[in-house]
Amino acid sequence: MSSEAPATGAATRAPRRDLLSSALARTIGLLGAFLLAGLLGSIIILAYGENPLDVYRIVFEFSFNRPQDIASVLENATPLIFSGLAVAVAFKAGLFNIGVEGQYIVAMAAAAAAALGLSFLPGFLLVPAVLIAAMLGGMVWASVPAVLKVKTGAHEVVTTIMMNGIAISLVAWLILNPMRSTAGQMIDLRTDLLPKKSLIPTIAETLGIESIPGSVYFTWLFPLALVACFLVWVLLFRTRLGYEVRAVGSSSGSAEAGGISTGATQIKIFLISGALAGFVGLNHLLGDKGYLGSNYEILLGFNGITVAFLGRNHPAGIPLAAILIGMLSRGQDGIAVLTDLPTEILIILQGVLILSVVIAYELVSRRITRRRQQEVRAEEEPPSARPAEATA
Amino acid sequence: MPLIDLGAAIALGLRYFTIIYLTGLGGLFSERSGIVNIGLEGIMIIGTVMGAWGTIEYGPFAGLLIGAGAGMLFSMVHALATVTFKVDHIVSGVVINVVAIGLARFLAQLFFGQATQSNPGIPDFGTISVPLLSDLPLGLGNAFAGMSPVVPFAFLITIPALYVLNKTRFGLRLRSAGENPEAARSLGVRVAPLRYAGVGISGLLGGMAGAFLAIEINGLFREGQTQGLGFIALAALILGNWTPIRLMIGSLLFGFAQAIPLRLNDAPVISLLPEEFIRMIPYVVTIIAIAGFVGRVNPPAAAGKAYEGATT
Repeated sequence: MSSEAPATGAATRAPRRDLLSSALARTIGLLGAFLLAGLLGSIIILAYGENPLDVYRIVFEFSFNRPQDIASVLENATPLIFSGLAVAVAFKAGLFNIGVEGQYIVAMAAAAAAALGLSFLPGFLLVPAVLIAAMLGGMVWASVPAVLKVKTGAHEVVTTIMMNGIAISLVAWLILNPMRSTAGQMIDLRTDLLPKKSLIPTIAETLGIESIPGSVYFTWLFPLALVACFLVWVLLFRTRLGYEVRAVGSSSGSAEAGGISTGATQIKIFLISGALAGFVGLNHLLGDKGYLGSNYEILLGFNGITVAFLGRNHPAGIPLAAILIGMLSRGQDGIAVLTDLPTEILIILQGVLILSVVIAYELVSRRITRRRQQEVRAEEEPPSARPAEATA
Repeated sequence: MPLIDLGAAIALGLRYFTIIYLTGLGGLFSERSGIVNIGLEGIMIIGTVMGAWGTIEYGPFAGLLIGAGAGMLFSMVHALATVTFKVDHIVSGVVINVVAIGLARFLAQLFFGQATQSNPGIPDFGTISVPLLSDLPLGLGNAFAGMSPVVPFAFLITIPALYVLNKTRFGLRLRSAGENPEAARSLGVRVAPLRYAGVGISGLLGGMAGAFLAIEINGLFREGQTQGLGFIALAALILGNWTPIRLMIGSLLFGFAQAIPLRLNDAPVISLLPEEFIRMIPYVVTIIAIAGFVGRVNPPAAAGKAYEGATT
């Protein structure tokens, strides 16, 4: 994939200056993209007869004014960090996991089954068991595209899209049949309530913070998500597997020539991606609802792709990107209360933002590559000696 | 087994075929020009909301055309991102799909006063009766007695599609842009406009299919009514090996897979198989096909790759 800039493999000469200038170029590109998205959003808002600055201010205030606002933003960000990480680790190996959507749906069913089936365990064993079940669910679902990719060359984009479709039907069937709640006449289709000891408490509840109401499901999964970011960073940049992953991602041919088994590396990282995807639905399942219903939260996997690209597929960028998207979802509440705008304006804005950011990164990294090539060329031969036809 | 049900199932299957086939055919033009389009689902969503609005305002025929036009306009976002700015095709496609959901809600709020659906019972095309076939005995004739006029249109569009793709200069150049853009460029073919055209056709047909879904199947716009049909169209396209005739066969198969759980759930054998498992068929078949267990899948050689040369 072309948008990945060779940040680590830069020229050995004066690498520091090079890194600095390319970081500067990226920052400028990013700011430009935000400005462009803001301007395009303003046009829509103006067409609606509202003041764009007011709208942006409302989004900001609704995200940061009170502790509970911040908690809600972080609640929104929690699943997106996991899905962003899941997309990013696969992407580092040159694989596109757009199956996070299906993987987390299956993982929610696996987690719910574990919570219900192992309810005899004490809480301190049950919660880890449920988390492991979720990871395994995600990994099983990711294993099919991974193995097919390596064994038959089937493109993972196509197979993961198909696995998403299968996941939706499979979980619909599970909720309707084997896992359907038997408790009374229920209108909404769902599983039994999961045992209380399998649920993940909110941070406010554990620490006794009273300014954050119980309706904000800002749980311990958020710190866990940050731990996951750190672990992914260690994995990618401090372990042998991470080195192999990055080698395969930048050039599978050279990696293979260097003695790395491309297939084995791709399968391993795709399974790790699936395991991370397993956590995506857990805040919804174990923090908020406490059961798996047919109206579970969707699109978290696809939004993870947005988060991964906004965060440049880096474990440090992903939480920031997730918080930004979390702000936009939180801002929808503010817009609904304080303006006549349809709240969907922010979903559109999010799309415009991600497209302009991707375009900006693309333009910047092309520019950097071009400049490096020019520098190298200028160094290799003095301008006077360069043949005329090579200048094109 | 009551054949009346079978007739009804075939009728509904043909309607779903129409959606899958039109969308897949659009995707075919996009991918043959070199642009992978997983945004078909999103394009279809725009078609549903705009088609429903157009139908309420100006009648079903205009609704279908407005859906198609809106789909084309929307697909230009994908073309701009992938052709002009060389953004990864998959990233752009995913964004298209997510934005379409928000945009559809936004437009529905404007048009219908609520984000999630329009009033039901929007006017439809009425039905036509296919001569001879509608006289089939045992209720099978039902399949062809109350047919939407768009269904035969979908079958017939194959002829111009094949002609344009294989017999015209535009078709040849479009395919060359998808197979070997460098060679095309060296022969003086401008790659970028062809790719814009390919994506535009996918928007046109995908939008039309979405409008058809709203007008002729559901009789309203409703959030989530596309239920992944855009991805099924993509599956049919892969199974059809990016050729119109095989795409048509794949679309028929998947169209019936959609209709069977809705119309034949009492039939023997089928009643033993849960609806949800029948819905998985298109996806499972596609995975098996793309893994090379049956036949071979040959996507256009340059599909998904940005063309680095001059953009004009």
